[in-house]
Formats: sequence, C-alpha cells, structure tokens
Amino acid sequence: MTAYLARRALQAVAVVLLVTLIVFGLIRLAPGGVTTAVLGSGSAHQQFLAQYLTWLGRVLSGNLGRSARLNESVGALLAASLPRTLVLTGVSTVIALLVAVPVGLLQAVRRSSAVDHVLRGLTYLCYGMPPFVLGSVLILYLAVDWHFFGAEGPQAAGVGGVIADPRDLTLPVLTLALVTIATFARYMRSSALDSLGQEYVQAARARGGGERRVIVSHVLRNSLVPVVTLIGLSLPQIVGGALVVEILFNFQGMGWQIWQAAVNHDVPVTLGFTLVIGVAAAVGSLLADIGYAILDPRVRISRP
Amino acid sequence: MSGQPSGPVLEIAGLHTEIRRNGAAVRAVDGVSLTVAAGECLGLVGESGCGKTMTARSVMRLLPAGGVITAGSVVLAGTELTALSERNMQTIRGNDVGMVFQDPSSSLDPTMQVGRQIAESVVVHRGASRAAAAARAVEMLSLVKIADPERVARGYPHQLSGGMRQRAMIAAALACEPRLLIADEPTTALDVTTQRDILDLIGDLRAALGMAVILVTHDLGVIAGRTERVAVMYGGRIVEQAATSAVFAGPRHPYTEALFEALPEMASSQPASRGLYSIPGRPPDLVTRSPGCSFAQRCRYVRDWCATHEPALDGDHPGHGYACFFPVGVTGRARGAGGQDGAGGGVTPVSAWVSGRGRQAAGRAATAAPASTAAEPLLRVSGLVKDYPVAGGVLGRRSGAVSAVADVSFELLAGQTFGLVGESGSGKTTVARLLVGLERPDAGAIVFDGADLAAMPARQRRQRRSGIQLMFQDSFASLDPRMRVKSILSEPLAIHQTVRRRGYRRQVLRILDEVGLPADAENQYAREFSGGQRQRLALARALIQRPALIVADEPVSALDVSVQAQILNLMRKLQRQYELSYLFISHDLSVIRYMADTIGVMYLGKLVETGPAEEICTAPGHPYTASLIAAVPAVVTGPEMTRPPLAGTPLAGTLSAGTLSAGTGQPGMAALPGASGPPAAGPDPAHPPSGCRFRLRCAFARDVCAEQEPALRPHAVRGQLVACHFPLGPATAGQVAGQTMPSIA
Repeated sequence: MTAYLARRALQAVAVVLLVTLIVFGLIRLAPGGVTTAVLGSGSAHQQFLAQYLTWLGRVLSGNLGRSARLNESVGALLAASLPRTLVLTGVSTVIALLVAVPVGLLQAVRRSSAVDHVLRGLTYLCYGMPPFVLGSVLILYLAVDWHFFGAEGPQAAGVGGVIADPRDLTLPVLTLALVTIATFARYMRSSALDSLGQEYVQAARARGGGERRVIVSHVLRNSLVPVVTLIGLSLPQIVGGALVVEILFNFQGMGWQIWQAAVNHDVPVTLGFTLVIGVAAAVGSLLADIGYAILDPRVRISRP
Repeated sequence: MSGQPSGPVLEIAGLHTEIRRNGAAVRAVDGVSLTVAAGECLGLVGESGCGKTMTARSVMRLLPAGGVITAGSVVLAGTELTALSERNMQTIRGNDVGMVFQDPSSSLDPTMQVGRQIAESVVVHRGASRAAAAARAVEMLSLVKIADPERVARGYPHQLSGGMRQRAMIAAALACEPRLLIADEPTTALDVTTQRDILDLIGDLRAALGMAVILVTHDLGVIAGRTERVAVMYGGRIVEQAATSAVFAGPRHPYTEALFEALPEMASSQPASRGLYSIPGRPPDLVTRSPGCSFAQRCRYVRDWCATHEPALDGDHPGHGYACFFPVGVTGRARGAGGQDGAGGGVTPVSAWVSGRGRQAAGRAATAAPASTAAEPLLRVSGLVKDYPVAGGVLGRRSGAVSAVADVSFELLAGQTFGLVGESGSGKTTVARLLVGLERPDAGAIVFDGADLAAMPARQRRQRRSGIQLMFQDSFASLDPRMRVKSILSEPLAIHQTVRRRGYRRQVLRILDEVGLPADAENQYAREFSGGQRQRLALARALIQRPALIVADEPVSALDVSVQAQILNLMRKLQRQYELSYLFISHDLSVIRYMADTIGVMYLGKLVETGPAEEICTAPGHPYTASLIAAVPAVVTGPEMTRPPLAGTPLAGTLSAGTLSAGTGQPGMAALPGASGPPAAGPDPAHPPSGCRFRLRCAFARDVCAEQEPALRPHAVRGQLVACHFPLGPATAGQVAGQTMPSIA
C-alpha cells in the first residue's frame, strides 16, 4: 500500500514538472516579448534551460508573475478567486454526490421500473442541456419571475463574501450541481447494474442477507470505484471553476478570471492559472488512485 | 450414506419455473420432482441449459430477473418454501440452505475481507457480535482446512488461489450449519487435483454436519464416487433418477446413455475410426412446447410413437425411474406403444465399457503407427525458457522473475498430436504463446519445418508462422463480436496475403463446410452461435491458412461432454484428412489421452515427464503424473462407489449438532473441530523450490531432491522420459495412486 502510494506520488511529481515545462514553453512561444516581461530584461540572452530554471525557482517560491493590466501579482489574483471557486464547485460537487449516488443506485435496483424511466429522463435532460441554457432557465423562473434567489452570484469579496450570501449563491450552485448530478448518476447507475449482476451479490443473497444489506455492503462499495475516477478527473474543473456558470452569473472566480485574462491578452495571468489547473489535474488523478486503493483491495499491492 | 434413516430434508414436487423475458416464457424447470434425505448426496446432471441450475435456484428462490415459480412445491424440513414471504425466505437462505457457486473468482466480493463474508450469515441469522463473527470465520476457515486461518480471514479474495477461494466459499455457505448444501458446479473451474480436494472436503463436511447435499454438475465423473443418487435432467425435466450405482451399471434413458458414451474415457468401446459418440442437435429451447418426448429429436432410438406421446418418469423397479418408452438395455419391453420392441437391446452397459478401457491403447496405436517412422519432426522445441519480470518497489524496477517455462524440450511428428497436461500455472499456455509467436523466448530453439523460429528475423518469422495457428480456450472472447464470420475467417488470408481478395469467399465457404457449419453462417456474428459452433469457428479460423500445426489451448474445456465429443471428433477427422499436427493443451487427462500420441506433463514450468500417451496414462513414471491420474474422477462403478464416505476422517462423529458452543459464545453455533490439514504450501513460481520443483508436494522426496535438479532421463523399463530421482516402477506406482498429495488448494 505504502509503496503503491509512494510510486503514484512520484508519478504525480513527474507530471507536475512536465506541466511546468509545457507552461513555460507556452510563455516562450507567446508573442510580444512575454518572456522578457515575465523574467526581466536580463534574461533575454539566456538559454532555454536557464530561463526555465529561473522561472521554476520563482514559481516554487510562490511568485507566479504579475499582471501589468491589473497591476497585481498573479498570486494575489489566485488568492482572491480560487477560494471563491472552491466554494462554488466544492459545494455543488458534494451536493451532486449526495444526490447522484442514491439516485443511480435506486435506478439500478429498480431497473426498467417507472422510477428508473422518470429519473433517466430527468438525468438525460440535465446532461444534454448546455449549462448556459439551464442556468438561464433557472434565472428566468427562480430569480426574475418568482424572486426566490438572486440572478447574480455573490459579489462581495473573499470566501466570507460568498458564504454570507446564500441567496445569491444558490442558483450558480444549483446549475452546476444539476449538470454534475446527471453525469454522476448515469455513471453510478451503470456501475451499480454491473455490480448487481455479479455472482458475489447472488452469493450474499444466498447467505440470507436482506436486499438492503446486500446493496449497502456489497453493491455500493464495488459500484463506487468508477465514480471515484470521475471525481478525481473532475478536480481540474473544481479548481479551474465552471467557466460558463461563472460568466453567466458574473461570479468572480477562477473561470471568470481566466476568461477576463484571455479576452484581454493578459498572458501572465492565463499561464499562471493554467499552471495551477494543471497541477490540480495531477493531484486529482493521484487522489483518484488513493480512492481506488481504499475501495478496492486488489489495487493495493502489498499484503495487509 | 448407509446408516442414517431419516425423512427427506428436501421434497420438490411438480416444480415449474419460468423465465419471462421480452414476452416469451422459457420453461426452465418443467415439472421436476425429487427428494433428498438427511445426510444424502444427490447428483443433478445434464448439459447446460437443461434446468439444473434453475432447479437449484428455485429452491433458494434466487431466480434471475423474470423468473417465477409457476407451480409445484418445495418443502424443506416441513416448511413450504414457495409460499413464504421474501422476509421469511431470507431466514432460510444461508441458515437452512447453503449454496456454493461455480466460479470462486466471481462469487466472493473482491472488496470485502474474506472473514467478514464467511461470517455474514452468522451475523444475519444469529445476530453474532463482531468478535463472535470474526471467531466463527476463523473457525470455519480451519474447518475447510485452510492454513493460517487468522491471516486469511483478514485478507481479501484476490490473495487466495482458486481452490482456497472455493474453500472459503464453502466455509461461508456452511457457517450456520445448514441442513442442505447446494453446490452448483463447485469444481468446474478448478484443476483436477484441487477438484478432488474440494469434493473430498464437501464429502467430509457432509458427514460431520449430517447435512444433505445437492451436487449440480455436468461431469459424470464428479457424480461417480460422491453421490448416492443421481437425477439426470433434460429439457427442464428429470429424465432418469436412480441410485448412482444403478445408473452407472446400466443407464435406461437414451440421453443418459449418450452422455456416458460421449466421454473420452469411453472411447475404448468403439472402433477407433468412429470417434466418440456425440448427441446430434441441441437441447430444446424450452419456449415452444412440442408434443411427445423432448429428447425425441436427438434420440437414436426414436420411433413414431415418441413424437406424439409424452413419457412419464416411472421405471421397472422402485428407485430407478426413467422417462422413456423404449429404455436402453431392457429388451422386449415397451410401454404404451403396444407390441413394439425395446430399442436398446444391443447396447453395452457402461460397466462393460469401463472394463474395456485398456483396449483404447490398441486402437490408438494402430492409427498412429504409420506416422511414427523416424522422420525429421515437424516441430522440435529445445531448451525453451521464458521468465516474466516482476516489478516491485517504489520505482517499479525489476525485482525478480516468474519462471513460467524453464528448459522445456519436446518433438512433434507431422500428423501427430502432442498433449500438454498440467495444473493451471504450470506454463502450458506460455508454451503455446511462445510457439505461435505471441511471446519471445528468453532462450531455446523452436525448430519448425526445419528452421529455427526463435533465431529468425521478425519479418521472416511471421511468414513462417502462418504454418502454426492458435486455437483459444474461450471461443467467445477470442472472436470479435462486431465482425461477421466471413470477415473473421478471411482476416488470416488478408494478413498473410496468400490468396487474392476475390478468392476469399470460396475459401471461407470451403472451410465452413469442412468444420460442419452451414454456408449461410458467413453473414452471422459470433454471438449467434452456440459454444460448440463457436469452437468450430475458432477451428475454421485456425485452419483457413492450411497450417501444418495447430496449437489448441484448452479447446474443449468450456464445452458440455456431448459437444466436446463433436469437437474432438472433428479435430481428429481433419487431422487424418490433412495430416495436421496438434499441440493439444488440456488439464483434462482423459481428453488428452483420447487425442494425443505423445504426452508431456508440465509442473511449474518444467516438463517432468514425456512419452507415448498410453504408457504415461497407464504406467506413469513421475510421482506428479501419478497423482494427476489418481485425481481424475473416474467414471467407474465399483468399490469407490460404496466406500463409506468418511470413516477415519478427523471430523467424523465429533459434532453434537445444535449445542451451545463455548468456543464462540453464540447460541446455536456448534463448535467445529478444526481439522488442520497439511499446510497449503502453494508453489511460488517466482521462487521455485531448489532441486526438483515438485519435491514439496511429493510423497517420495528425499534430501537429494532438494539438492539436485533431476534431468529428463529415459525410464529404466518404460518408453518415456522422466525427470525424477526416484521414478516410479511397477512396485511403487500403486502406492502413489492411493496416497494423497499435500493439497495446494
């Protein structure tokens, strides 16, 4: 187990280094003297490797560069937007999991029943509808017509500002959660159907276990394995923010910030944020591997 | 079991079970009645799709989706199970009836500790505490003779070998000491030696716990020494039911007779050229009900009467029932048909076939003789070595090697068959993969048709290799589900470009005809075929290149006996026709003996014995070969049948059922004596034993066996080569056969 995790962690470090190399390569390729802007004028005659190492050293010490347009360090921008995004995407992912796992399981257990058909229709609907349409519909009814919630995301600064404003936070979270629920539930349904068809489920029933017991102690855990991969793979989105939803609700998080930077050719910000999201992807797959190892003992190499 | 008169534990009467799906109802169980007495073992036999498993599942009321019991009763110790609510039924499952499934690799939850699964029924039915459950799991594991039960209980299924998993499964089924154990093909997925151990274990536990057992199997050999009574199922019904000895001495139903005749062991009673008897056609689909006897279409004694009248299950004397108007072996007797003669007068009873086993030798030798002149062999394998690296540590560096094939040498003449036998993990399949070029050998030569394939450059080798084709074990998995038969069959032609594209279709039709498939099969997909037909397709794909050698890796191990007979016959027919050579890999010695001229026995990557097939099967020189032969469940009637199942086992008579045990502190759990068998020292191919690799399991091992590796040497008095310091002579052979090898299950 330890050796397995250590090996995966080493691989993650390698991936992160590769990400930094690619990001630095992009900096070098970007037109308009970005390298000089990022590294300073003294770097103009240096070799690629020397430039890269200088840059890497700065990144590791927390200096991600500076946005000339906003006159602010990329680090400060990150510190402002990352926690806000984490609240938005984190809350919606947790809600999605709490809803999708039971929904998918229910669909699988009651396969081809009316419940399954209705839920399948609903998940297809949420899955197939683009988030900006779904979000707009929600705004139209829940905010504009009925005034239950705000039409815009929380505008106050910092995490506190987001949490303190549940009325405005609800619709962005809901939009994001509905889309995620649809994806997770579809995964959960098919993986639970898979587990239900396994002989060990029959064997558990043959030992006299009631249906609830069989599902909770045998089906659930085995079905969660593919869902864990999905969560791990969605970590970059959790960190990177849901771009469309953030723009739709004018929510100033990571996605919104990247969009601003991209539109305004603010290269240091774009690259700094890309780097963070890339690292999140590596960490996400590492976390998924750890999740695997916890859920499925076959993954753990060493004996207990 | 002789001395235990008691009422039936299970009484099934007129059971009808349907599987309703897509508007059609499959009558999977169609009027089955049977009883099982306390302590009795009933064998339920038949081809797949005959309703054996559905009968067993109906008892448990664990039917697949759409399954309904439509009529009949299932009475377990006075309780009518079909009328119980689902909740009450749950109190029966695992408590009064335990069940063991076929595939131990899929019947244990991979994510749950073995001990918790074993103790699950105790927790459910007895409300055992965590500690008591854990203690019970350990107790059950030692009961099923697993070494170091504490460690195994804390471990997970994937850490156990197949045999150990099946032991754990049995432990789980028996944790509440049920009155009835239903074992559904419990050993089909296991090696012969492991199979014997598991069947012995079930037998021992049956006596110790006084429970009844239903043994569901397609293998008549499994039934032979282990059951008191047999029920043969066909088309959802029981067609013959009697004491096991009576059925083996003289089957009455033509279907039972045909099942016996299809066994490769039975080849001796027939002229060698005729091949095995195989049942034509397929089992009925059970959806449409046709009048008359359901076996009529496949029966060789069928008469007009059979198509219109349905035979009832009755017999000539109490205890032997059969559903046939013209039973086998009963002359001058015809019921209902008014004056017609019995049909099977001229058929030999099984016992006579068995006594004639030796004759097979003569028959085989006669056919094999012409080829065995001293010509250059088609294939000469020498010093073949293959190691698989084992990765370990944080960086995944090579930390060791699994020795899969270690210095294997043999020869194969054109037109002959070399049979490779051994348990799983012995390296048989690796040899096959090396021969067809799916793996590269680490050392050694593969001289095929005069050229060393191992030493050749890749391009040339590939061309040469079209002369060697592979036939896989799992025909379903090895045929692309999205390709039509014509594409599957013409793919080899396209790869090797030996025929022009226009000629493909002609070749495909020709080969389909040769393997006995209809021409319109070319537009179908693999899933539309039965298991036997798929194996014909696999053979066709191997044959279409006109290879000189076909490497067949367990080609019939997934098939029913009757279909197996068809495929074996076909392979032999094609061999005669084209002077094909086969490298035939199987774990089944009787199949190998039927097919092969020469046999090689592998153990842990080593060839331990090789020589003429008959010689090896009748007078093995290596203790391992002898133990393999001893483990084959023999379809023999005789003393083994009546042997008292458990005298002398450490378990017998030590149980007072239903007592409160001090050991576990749980009411209703009797203490089970831990019958600690010999340690299950499974051979580890990454660290093979020094000297002779077999020595840890060998009854004759001495010091020299650990110090010196025995080379393959000619046996002193027989024709085979044996790698053993103390090869078996006439004096010692019998000794081994009787001796039980330390188990590796």
